[in-house]
Amino acid sequence: MLHLLGAALVAGGCAWLGFQKAMELKNRVRALEETARGLALLERELGLGSPPLPRLLEGAARRSEGPAAELFAGCAQGLSRLDQEDFSHLWRRQTACLAGLSGEGKEILAPLGEVLGRYDCRDQREGVAAVRGQLEELAARAREDSRRQGRVYRALGLSGGAFLVILLL
Amino acid sequence: MEKQARAAAYRQAAEALPARLRREALALPPEEQSRAEELRLRAGRPMTALIEGRELPLGELPVEVGELEQLLEIASHASVHAVLPQLRRGYLTIAGGHRVGLCGTAVLREGEIHALSPLSSADIRVARQVKGACAPVLDRLCPGGVLRDTLILSPPGLGKTTLLRDLIRAVSEGEGCLPRRVALADERGEVAALYGGVPQLEVGRRTDVMEGCPKAAGLMLLLRAMNPQVLAADEITAPEDVQALAQAAGCGVTLLATAHARGREDLGRRGLYRELLDRGLFQNLVTIRRTEGGRAYEVEELR
Repeated sequence: MLHLLGAALVAGGCAWLGFQKAMELKNRVRALEETARGLALLERELGLGSPPLPRLLEGAARRSEGPAAELFAGCAQGLSRLDQEDFSHLWRRQTACLAGLSGEGKEILAPLGEVLGRYDCRDQREGVAAVRGQLEELAARAREDSRRQGRVYRALGLSGGAFLVILLL
Repeated sequence: MEKQARAAAYRQAAEALPARLRREALALPPEEQSRAEELRLRAGRPMTALIEGRELPLGELPVEVGELEQLLEIASHASVHAVLPQLRRGYLTIAGGHRVGLCGTAVLREGEIHALSPLSSADIRVARQVKGACAPVLDRLCPGGVLRDTLILSPPGLGKTTLLRDLIRAVSEGEGCLPRRVALADERGEVAALYGGVPQLEVGRRTDVMEGCPKAAGLMLLLRAMNPQVLAADEITAPEDVQALAQAAGCGVTLLATAHARGREDLGRRGLYRELLDRGLFQNLVTIRRTEGGRAYEVEELR
């Protein structure tokens, strides 16, 4: 009985690890997609007029999800301390703190702080669109990875668990 | 009390400065803070405070170009795109109605100033409202408590805009006259100093402000949209402005405006302004003159 319970725990644990790893890949895709959607929102708002950055970021933070909402809200808050930290540093720092976004995604996003608020709306929109395009490409690659590797991880988790159970029994 | 308010206005204006320069500005004794009119920053030179016509150095370290850029970032809340139209006219208004003027190397696009880069100088003008400036003339401009069509004249720097602002405030609040709905075409944002849609200088509770729009277009829009009883504009300078005022006068609105002139004779010598007189658009003329003790107001009835 104890053997059976142990075997079930080992099998379950291995399967959980495999599914967890596959979920991480999915979350990575979702974070990239949410960030790209957030940037698309900024682009649209900049197309409608010339909203000051605090209003633009506060509005976008309310209407975005995931890392985009976190980034926009953090930057909007930091705008009240511009005498201590300029906006490009603030954006870089907030980007580096984003928990959900991959390192590559952060590298793409970080330079946008040099563009936002500094140029006219058309130039800013072009800058945001370029970054959004790169993030969408990254998200497409991540989606493909998630589809292929996720299946592998899940299979590895299940088969690895079964193998260990056979070995232990 | 007034000194304290003036020093507080100085400290509020200094909030637009980067940290190091702000510390230097705030190290100025309160007495001098209350008298400072401007903070001047020039790349490569220490920052100075303009006090009664003299520039007083506020530190020893020179202002860096990066600090001028930081000043613009703080003043615009990192939103240069939102203040570009203001920058093109030479300055931007910050909280409190203070004005940040900038200059540097102009970047042109299609023949117009698109941006300034790099910046070379900046000037923060401390906004201070003179409440009660209209008291010496209010009685004569409002016989029976009703404001009559009034044109304010003076050479630059004698307080035309200050008198206009205070008249608008008094009429809008009903101070010393019957309260009226005032619509103000504030093309350069000097009268009400809108910031985030809110006038930073008091223009009264019944005043609607149209900023950044050419005066003539602004006057006509206000006339159609806001149903004013008094229509006000600062510095009549173009034939279109006169046309717009004439049209408004035909609608039964009281006019309140200013013009650059030393007096009635000077006004009559200039074609544009002669038309104002010939058309009989104004009933009262207020001329501001410099005197030894300050300034004197002369009210003349035209009709």
